[in-house]
Amino acid sequence: MSKINSRDQQSGESKSDSRRDFLKQSAVLTGAVLTPSIALKAAEAQWDEKLAEALEKIPLKLEVNGVSKSLMVEPRVTLLDLLREQLNLTGTKKGCDYGQCGACTVHVNGTRVLSCLTLAVMQDGRKVTTIEGLAEGDQLHPMQEAFLKHDGFQCGYCTPGQIMSAIACIREGHADSEEEIREYMSGNICRCGAYPNIVNAIVEVKKGGKKV
Amino acid sequence: MIQFQYTRATAAKAALDAISRDKTAMFIAGGTNLVDLMKRGIVSPERLIDISRLPLTDITTEGKSLKIGSLALNSTVAENKTVQQKQPLLVQALNAGASAQIRNMATVGGNMLQRTRCHYFYDTALPCNKREPGSGCGALEGFNRMHAIFGFSEKCIAVHPSDMSVALVALDATVVVDGPKGQRRIPFIDFHRLPGDRPEIDTNLLPGELILGVEIPDNRFAKNVHYLKVRDRASYAFALVSVAAALQIEKKVIRDARLALGGVAHKPWRLSEAERALVGKPVSESTFREVAQLAMKGAKGFKYNEYKLKLTPNAIIQALKVASKLV
Amino acid sequence: MKFFDKVIGDPMNRVDGKLKVTGAARYSAEYQLPNLSYGVVVSSTIAKGRIRSIDSRAALRAPGVIAVISHENAIKVPGWADNEHPTEPPTGGRPLRAFYNNRVYSNGQPIAIVVADTYERARHAAMLVKAEYEEEKHETNFEKNKGKAVVPAVVKKNPKSGLADYERGKADAYKTASVRLEAEYVHPSEVHNPMELQAITAYWEADDKLIVYDKVQGTKPTQQAFANEWKIPVQNVRVISEFVGGAFGNGLHNWPHETAAIIAAKMVKRPVKVMLTREQMFFMVGYRPYTWQKIGIGADKDGRLTGIYHEAIGQTSSYEEFTESTLQQSKMMYTSPNIGTKYRLLPLDVSTPIWMRGPGEATGAFALESAIDELAFALNIDPVQLRLMNHTDTDPEKNLPWSTKYLKECIQVGAEKIGWSKRSLKPGGVRSGEWLVGYGMGVGTFGAHRGAAAVRAKLLANGSVVFQSAVTDIGPGTGTAMVQIASEHLGISPEKITFQLGNSDFPQAPNQGGSATVATVGSAVVATCQAMKERLLEMAPSADKRFANLKLEDVTFDKAHLSITRSPSVKVAYTELLKKQNLTELDVLQDSKPSQEASKYSRYSFSVHFAEVHVHPMTGQVRVKKVVSCADAGTIVNKKTAANQMIGGVTGGIGMALQEDAVMDHRFGRYVTKDLADYHVPVHADVPPVEVYFVDKPDYIVDPMGTKGLGEIAIIGVAPAITNAIFNATGKRIRELPVTPDKLI
Ligand SMILES: Cc1cc2nc3c(=O)[nH]c(=O)nc-3n(C[C@H](O)[C@H](O)[C@H](O)COP(=O)(O)OP(=O)(O)OC[C@H]3O[C@@H](n4cnc5c(N)ncnc54)[C@H](O)[C@@H]3O)c2cc1C
Ligand code: FES
Ligand code: FES
Repeated sequence: MSKINSRDQQSGESKSDSRRDFLKQSAVLTGAVLTPSIALKAAEAQWDEKLAEALEKIPLKLEVNGVSKSLMVEPRVTLLDLLREQLNLTGTKKGCDYGQCGACTVHVNGTRVLSCLTLAVMQDGRKVTTIEGLAEGDQLHPMQEAFLKHDGFQCGYCTPGQIMSAIACIREGHADSEEEIREYMSGNICRCGAYPNIVNAIVEVKKGGKKV
Repeated sequence: MIQFQYTRATAAKAALDAISRDKTAMFIAGGTNLVDLMKRGIVSPERLIDISRLPLTDITTEGKSLKIGSLALNSTVAENKTVQQKQPLLVQALNAGASAQIRNMATVGGNMLQRTRCHYFYDTALPCNKREPGSGCGALEGFNRMHAIFGFSEKCIAVHPSDMSVALVALDATVVVDGPKGQRRIPFIDFHRLPGDRPEIDTNLLPGELILGVEIPDNRFAKNVHYLKVRDRASYAFALVSVAAALQIEKKVIRDARLALGGVAHKPWRLSEAERALVGKPVSESTFREVAQLAMKGAKGFKYNEYKLKLTPNAIIQALKVASKLV
Repeated sequence: MKFFDKVIGDPMNRVDGKLKVTGAARYSAEYQLPNLSYGVVVSSTIAKGRIRSIDSRAALRAPGVIAVISHENAIKVPGWADNEHPTEPPTGGRPLRAFYNNRVYSNGQPIAIVVADTYERARHAAMLVKAEYEEEKHETNFEKNKGKAVVPAVVKKNPKSGLADYERGKADAYKTASVRLEAEYVHPSEVHNPMELQAITAYWEADDKLIVYDKVQGTKPTQQAFANEWKIPVQNVRVISEFVGGAFGNGLHNWPHETAAIIAAKMVKRPVKVMLTREQMFFMVGYRPYTWQKIGIGADKDGRLTGIYHEAIGQTSSYEEFTESTLQQSKMMYTSPNIGTKYRLLPLDVSTPIWMRGPGEATGAFALESAIDELAFALNIDPVQLRLMNHTDTDPEKNLPWSTKYLKECIQVGAEKIGWSKRSLKPGGVRSGEWLVGYGMGVGTFGAHRGAAAVRAKLLANGSVVFQSAVTDIGPGTGTAMVQIASEHLGISPEKITFQLGNSDFPQAPNQGGSATVATVGSAVVATCQAMKERLLEMAPSADKRFANLKLEDVTFDKAHLSITRSPSVKVAYTELLKKQNLTELDVLQDSKPSQEASKYSRYSFSVHFAEVHVHPMTGQVRVKKVVSCADAGTIVNKKTAANQMIGGVTGGIGMALQEDAVMDHRFGRYVTKDLADYHVPVHADVPPVEVYFVDKPDYIVDPMGTKGLGEIAIIGVAPAITNAIFNATGKRIRELPVTPDKLI
């Protein structure tokens, strides 16, 4: 007994099954706020995809770890993928891509956010700090030192996110007790389970009173 | 995720203009829900209108109410001194949601409009009337442990996952929106809808409308509130059941009460009848037990969420006990 | 007591710690190769049947797409003769062959891979691939099919296998005991879910030369597997796994996405990088199998065990037989004269499970240690007492002496540190405000294994030493431990030592797994140090004649110098010897394997975990308030990293006890809890301070360092400690994990 089944892989997905169809369609519908009419022409004339690609990218200015960057990116690129795949800043980790683990935590204008859930273009003009931007030369950030000392990690994969989050946790004023630290660090999963050591590291840095 | 056009709006008017011209467009605020859904192919807008920089972030008191801009961040609202003083229930609910990072991104408007976390909605290989009208409700006879016990329909038994909204519905908030019909005010209780025959529509916000903010009238509950969230782990999980309880107590007698539930229905579930029953009663566990029973009128469980029929009244009692400082 | 120093002090920081805290450590998806392309795997949406067709037209038209590869167009993997799989899988049967034919064996199975020039484009195009299936009726429901469980093929082949039915005395003797009980326990499928998503970057350097940056637990086994698949010389495959972002067992098997990436790289003639999505981690890279267990246990009125019967059925796939030692602890932990065990497998239309931390032993210990607790309650005897009374002083299964066993000491210390005396025998006897307070314990054991390995060491002219091993480090701190062992055995300070690992070009090492890495690779380090010392001593007379004709025992190797032990002023630096011999380096390669002597003993590590939990009677929420874990794991090489291992095991045990549950909707044969929002693992707020104590007494039978292995016993016994504590708090015995709030109201 067998029955025929043709469930779409992704039924929520696109009515437009080709890039050209899409360009055409959206350009018509939107009255082309950002779609240059040339895109429409490109689509109709079935020009080279390369051209289409150029048209789909938009300019983005970011300051990443103190360095100004002028980039051209597709709007669908997340900040996380931009850092990892285009800027070679692989210290920021992808642990889920859905906002469920905290491995991708970075600072944008000083606050901790999840880089997997924000589009890079939405951060235009802002300052992004990643794990690579914490140390000053050979001088580790006090939180990095504390993680080393307290062995706040095992495999190290959640660690950049934990450290970025830990610094923010202190800055936000949510590191006044171990219990508060645990609650405000709960957005950073460590599957290796180094949690108590991470808490100890944060307590020490907080007590040390250094500016983080 | 399909390729889409991206427009950043700098004024509410421009955002409204842009959306009125493009039926396939959506607003994006914090992006914490929308980007997730787009990655999974659950929604595929062809244009995103970035409203995150609109000047709708103020938190002000005006007359006898507190006004919160729709683009104020969840963390900003929770840390705001005025909100903490005037509406501690809202603060507790906000802090019970998601994680510190997500609260730093999530906006008030986006939080209200977040979609359900139903497993079937989230998997495009499974049936879901909300995602794909007509495909069937996967949860009805499926794994419905997280699902509704109130107000569901044959078409959909999903619940609304927001914590913040549970507090807002309890606090008689009003949503202020602008759009094709001009500015209008929607009582929070009417903002979200029940699934009925159209589970694909979550709210009574009309296409092309922009949420400007919410207003919460002043009240006298600040001393006796509690937001109780029961979940599968201690933090960073959606509610199995949550309760927003606010009491005004004078000489151990309840003068006024607000009560709402999360995790039990397609919308934040206000318990008006139970509230009325509380008024005039003494603060006591037996009062709370009675009221909890009343609150459960009409509840029905499914294969995997029967437990909510017991957990919910327990949680109501517990929340009222904490709010009234019985424990 | 001296042996139970609380873990404090200044044990060495990790040698690779700085790379990890600065983001400089590179994991498998983080190598930037020129001309890199991105592969996204398309998964099946049915559980069983055939793929009728794959429509890739839309995907191929999408910008940036280089190829869409499926069984329809994939190149043939030369090693896959019909119906045969040349790689030796760690399981019985034949692993799934990516894109081999149109068969679908489980939901989420890879059916195609889309390769594009950017990740975003590949991801989009993957959504455009449409498959048509001929669906067949699938069976994924364990409970419904339990009756169809079978004897594992390994047992049929070898009736003496440890998995065969076992009887000592009479298996059903418990039935006539004066106090007895029978109970069934269910353990759901759990998914390893390391934080790093499974990733591989594959690149064909030449037609017959393959490089993979792969997330695996063994570079050598992986190298061999791929060499077999592609019928190329082993040395033509290079596997690099310098950093592994956790694995917990799921890197002990090579999975179809790896082959998919390699096929794709071959076809597009570019490096291809594949990183699975979190959902795909549930469907394609193994899991701890759903397991049903039944225990019958009986004792006389004084608490002496008279019989234990333990039966288990574990789930496996339809194409591979995955087995694990679920029943081992029941055979040797307690003194009962009558013991019976029975292990069966239930093949279903699901993907293949694979060992997950503390593997079957952790699953089995949940049942056994719960049953012991239940029996203690029935006898009205303290569970600590009951365990001590029935302690085994020799291994009753093998009839051999233990190499070492300090479990009693562990139990005594743990009981004291958790405050066991506060416990009430009667459930619900202790409260803290509204919360019910309970105390529970669970014992764990795991074989102290040691395998064969080789290690290379190069002493350089500047006095530093570089060690090399193909072993991986999935998190325990292997490199650090090896540096410490090397430092001690070579008489060189740790700062001068580098331990390079995670590369199949380096000398032989097995998978990192089974808690055997320190014993296996550490022994090879010791052997290599020994060989190096011999070479140095041979060279020593060239610097000072007085070293002539001396034996190793006559010489002290310390602070990078040799000296004559009896006359320490006769001394020469290692580097001096290199100079004298005009050498730029001294290169030593030595292998090492377990001794024969060891087989005269039964070798196990032991642990005991004590938990204090609070349960809210109204909401059913459980808070683990404190855990004390004591381990008898031989010598502890680095107390800091070892304590961390224990803490990690406890965290995993909390997840197992309270949260983890991969739920499948059997109508579709598809998981519904399949990301980290729906499949809960512990977060910071779930994990209390964990106190760790080590016996720290060497076991030289196992290996020359005296270590016994730690990674597994860290988790084995934790879940029952928690569920037993929940019983003690509430009087509710939950035999089906996880214990979520709904089960306690
Ligand atoms: C792992 C995880 C855990 C979470 N846990 C919780 C939890 O426990 N409790 C909880 O309450 N929430 C939780 N959330 C959800 C989170 O709170 C929401 O994602 C967030 O509030 C959405 O806000 P946003 O600004 O990011 O919305 P966006 O993602 O930007 O937008 C969401 C929707 O709202 C629309 N929109 C946004 N603003 C406006 C506006 N002003 N006018 C009109 N339309 C608008 C958008 O078009 C979109 O459709 C969790 C999320 C994640 C990822
Ligand atoms: S990768 Fe962003 S939260 Fe997991
Ligand atoms: S260190 Fe491995 S996940 Fe945290």
